[in-house]
Amino acid sequence: MSTNRLLATNDAPSQDLLGPDAADLAAASFAMARRFASGATLWCAAPSWPWHAQRLAAEFVHPVTPAEHPLPAVVVPGDHLWENLGPIARSGDMLLVVSRSDEPSVAGLRQRAKAWGVLTVWIGAGSRPEPGSADYVLWVDDDETISSYGGRFALIYHLLSELTDVCLEHPGLLEPEHAVCGDEVCITCSDEGRLGEVVAIRADGRAQVRTPAGLDTVDTTLIENARPGDLVLIHAGAAVTLVEVSRR
Amino acid sequence: MSPESTDLRRQFVEADEHGVDALLVALAASAGAEAAKSDRLCRSSLEALGSDLERAAQAIAKRFSAGACLYTFGNGASSTDAASVAALFSRSPGGTLLPARCLVADQAVLTAIGDDVGHGLIVSRQLVAFAQVGDIAMGYSTTGNSETVIRAFREAKHRGLLTVGFVGREGGQIAASDVLDHCFVVRSHSRHRIQEAQAALSYRLWAAVQQQLAPGSGRPALGRQQPAANQELLEPEEAR
Repeated sequence: MSTNRLLATNDAPSQDLLGPDAADLAAASFAMARRFASGATLWCAAPSWPWHAQRLAAEFVHPVTPAEHPLPAVVVPGDHLWENLGPIARSGDMLLVVSRSDEPSVAGLRQRAKAWGVLTVWIGAGSRPEPGSADYVLWVDDDETISSYGGRFALIYHLLSELTDVCLEHPGLLEPEHAVCGDEVCITCSDEGRLGEVVAIRADGRAQVRTPAGLDTVDTTLIENARPGDLVLIHAGAAVTLVEVSRR
Repeated sequence: MSPESTDLRRQFVEADEHGVDALLVALAASAGAEAAKSDRLCRSSLEALGSDLERAAQAIAKRFSAGACLYTFGNGASSTDAASVAALFSRSPGGTLLPARCLVADQAVLTAIGDDVGHGLIVSRQLVAFAQVGDIAMGYSTTGNSETVIRAFREAKHRGLLTVGFVGREGGQIAASDVLDHCFVVRSHSRHRIQEAQAALSYRLWAAVQQQLAPGSGRPALGRQQPAANQELLEPEEAR
């Protein structure tokens, strides 16, 4: 869509009204409804534009139609996003981020969400993030300032909440996913490349790690100097690789 | 219940019989249709209110030039519109940064006033504390009937502020009252579509104010003089 839409009155009708693919929006809504139906909480973060996170949380806690059931949606506060979210997020929860692709404070958050078993939805504008940066990427190919202040982000998350509400009216279709899957390999199928976050290093050198399946104790002889907060790949009961992660 | 959401629901009553794939196809189609609705409403609102926005921008720019502060407010989801527009004026890239503050952001103040004297006064009490003659009050209400917003506008008008309101539906009590110098009505019954159009209008208004204040526009440079000293500001604004 042309960035001039908000500044000119007579430009030709836009060909691409939505921005992100409507199919992506539908898939994200369905995934979110499925998690809500399983009792998940939606965590909302928008570090540069905190009001988007506040609006998002309000959309679900207090829906447009008062008769609708309030859903658990919460703003992740402050600058220390992953430190704030870490202790309260549970495996199966969801994280919805509204930010630019190079926002430093959300990089570590999205990576860790994977280790925690938290589904990620990323709304933004401007240069696109790398593929696979989140489970669902709903991107506007337009200026980020206009998208944020001119109503484009609002359109995306309004539609997201409208479609999620519709999905929730079809409980028969919202059977929980049979397992919590990371991007690489499903933990119920294999132990290859499981992502975990180091919680503590024990006196015997082994590490306590947080994974989508819960807390686990793994061998750390293959990696050096693991510290709490590090992300590691786990294979056959051992942390085999340190994963580079943003600590912001 | 908004008519849009009822329509949306009706389209999906048979989805259970056809499974997830059919539901996803129907959801995608309705997302496209609602986005088109949003776009049409934004365009028609910008077109219908374009010259009013220009007039409001002139009045707002004049006040900023005389040192005014912009105060924004709204209830619920509209409070986030107020936060957005305050940030747009005070710290967004691409324009002169102007003094603007959202009055529905501080939970200690809001809960203190709400609990002690009533929710309807959460903004107007703050205006009593902060506002100076010549400042600007900008409020959002998708129904046009928010008690908080109406009372804030009344207080603002009483104290000599320029009053600018963004409302939905048919404008409600706010548009029907005489508290607004500039009133922008987005004619829709869907709260979401109204807010999307209000954001587009607010952005246009900001851009027009920036244009007014740009060097070479013939406007005086931005000053920080005491607004109350300027008698011209006490005269009634040309409005609507």
